Amino acid sequence: MGKANHRAAIEAVKDTVYRTCLLMDDERWSDWLELCDEGFYYKITAYSPEIRRDMLYLDGDRDQIAQMCELLPKHNTDRSPLKRHAVVYTVDVEDNGKAAQAVTSFVIYQNMLDGVNSHIDAGENHLFAVGRYLDSFEIADDSARFLTREVRLETRRLDKGTHWPL
Amino acid sequence: MARNEKQWNAHPDPSRIEWADSRIYSDEEIFEEELEKIWKKVWIPVCHESELAEPYDFRTMTIAREPIIVCRDTDDKIRAFLNVCPHRANLIERRPSGSFKDGTPSGNPKNMTCMFHAWQFDMKGRCVHISRAEEGYQDRLSPKDVGLRRLRCEVAFGGMVWVTLNDHIEHSVKDWVGSALDCILEPLEMEPLEIFHYHKSIIPSNYKLWHDTNSEFYHDFVHYHNRVTGFNDAYFARKNMTFDNGHVVVGSFEVQYDQYEGFESREALSFPTLPPNNWYMIDIFPGINYNLRGSALRVDLMTPLSANEVMIEFRGLGLKSDSEEDRLTRIRHHNTIWGPMGRNLHEDLLSITGQGVTMRPGTEPRHILHGRHENETIHDEIGMRHYYDTWAEWMGRPLHNPTNRPPVAAAE
Repeated sequence: MGKANHRAAIEAVKDTVYRTCLLMDDERWSDWLELCDEGFYYKITAYSPEIRRDMLYLDGDRDQIAQMCELLPKHNTDRSPLKRHAVVYTVDVEDNGKAAQAVTSFVIYQNMLDGVNSHIDAGENHLFAVGRYLDSFEIADDSARFLTREVRLETRRLDKGTHWPL
Repeated sequence: MARNEKQWNAHPDPSRIEWADSRIYSDEEIFEEELEKIWKKVWIPVCHESELAEPYDFRTMTIAREPIIVCRDTDDKIRAFLNVCPHRANLIERRPSGSFKDGTPSGNPKNMTCMFHAWQFDMKGRCVHISRAEEGYQDRLSPKDVGLRRLRCEVAFGGMVWVTLNDHIEHSVKDWVGSALDCILEPLEMEPLEIFHYHKSIIPSNYKLWHDTNSEFYHDFVHYHNRVTGFNDAYFARKNMTFDNGHVVVGSFEVQYDQYEGFESREALSFPTLPPNNWYMIDIFPGINYNLRGSALRVDLMTPLSANEVMIEFRGLGLKSDSEEDRLTRIRHHNTIWGPMGRNLHEDLLSITGQGVTMRPGTEPRHILHGRHENETIHDEIGMRHYYDTWAEWMGRPLHNPTNRPPVAAAE
């Protein structure tokens, strides 16, 4: 793979990561899943120093996540939107240029709306979660599609907050 | 018809409908008294034994603001102590968990060390080292005079580690719980359990409001999942049962998990001897919850922080003998309902957050109705009434005027 193709692959990965942040911020779940491969697998994990174990908080393949997102409007939920602030730290493109892995650091803010006393809290921002996206991609035609996403949380205090993917 | 102030403040007739004054949830003086009269007097589970699986493993926590450490000794016994150095009252161990097998910057391996002045203690709470003891204390202070404050500690009911600050407690844990956990005793104790999930929430609400939610299932209207997987004849026949010391059991029924799109039956991995897909909920006074839903056990432990703030720790447990594949399935079953992004937990937390807004300290007293009677079945509020009968006994305060301040005048 030439240098130009390598650079193009890195830019494609960054574009997909950042585009995904915007789509998720806007709760456009199906548009996000359009950026994912048919075999996509998503999980939210954390290590607990309290119980000294790796933990799985949520997981599913593309169909399961899509199904969950379709059902969630039937549930009561905190309507405070979440906003992601992410920086792609590293992108490692495989020698053949057809796959890549990326590490993205993120913080997620909760823009308070109705979760507590909206008269007082609406409009305020709370830090909701801190972690990293550990992503893998398929690269083709100068674009990157998600194969997997692991949302690796540092945050283990999760108050009432969300039903949705992070 | 909407009511004016006088009508709104008029007390319901307690012979017709039971109610409590909301100051039991909002009054700071009552909260402080609860810590002294209840939380410092009873057995409280603090963690699961699998969280300190090896000798020298430890966990730290607090009960009623008192810092506590539990550790496993080489004889496999789990002991509990105040996590307070007898020297100058520093916190001895600051980490949430770990092992004393390794040394620390101020101390030797296999001892608890207060980093401040390097006093060291063994797993039995004995002081085994005072730095420069002879130079400073001559013969006036011996290590035997400065052992840790030991606390009564028992491992019971599925391997939970129970601790009390009350040296003079009359009951063992088994006597205190009585037969409230009999309905799930076999599934809990047929084989060792192991923790797989932990997270916590700190909610601006009174701790009893969380316990209330776990004690009444009338709130299933908030849960889309529970409405579609339950709300059948068997669900509405589900009985609430009350037990000595304020404990309550919500009886079981078979949950129709396949009625929720994308969910699967828990039958293949139901806990030993538990009928397939059955679901028991047991509320232990003053704020502990065992929740066994087919394939996963959830245990909620509460740490009340103030009249309007509670920390709830959520634990998920499976069988220690689980294969990797079974464990993963159990975790998924647990997460879909009770994980941080699970269908039900978020809704429950939202509910008590809303109650916390209307019953903040300083808000006007309100009438909290506990008066549903439905033949003691699932939407009957007998569980809450039973809890508060016990609470009133411990506190010596009436539910209708708990602050002993003049009650609001009744309507004409």
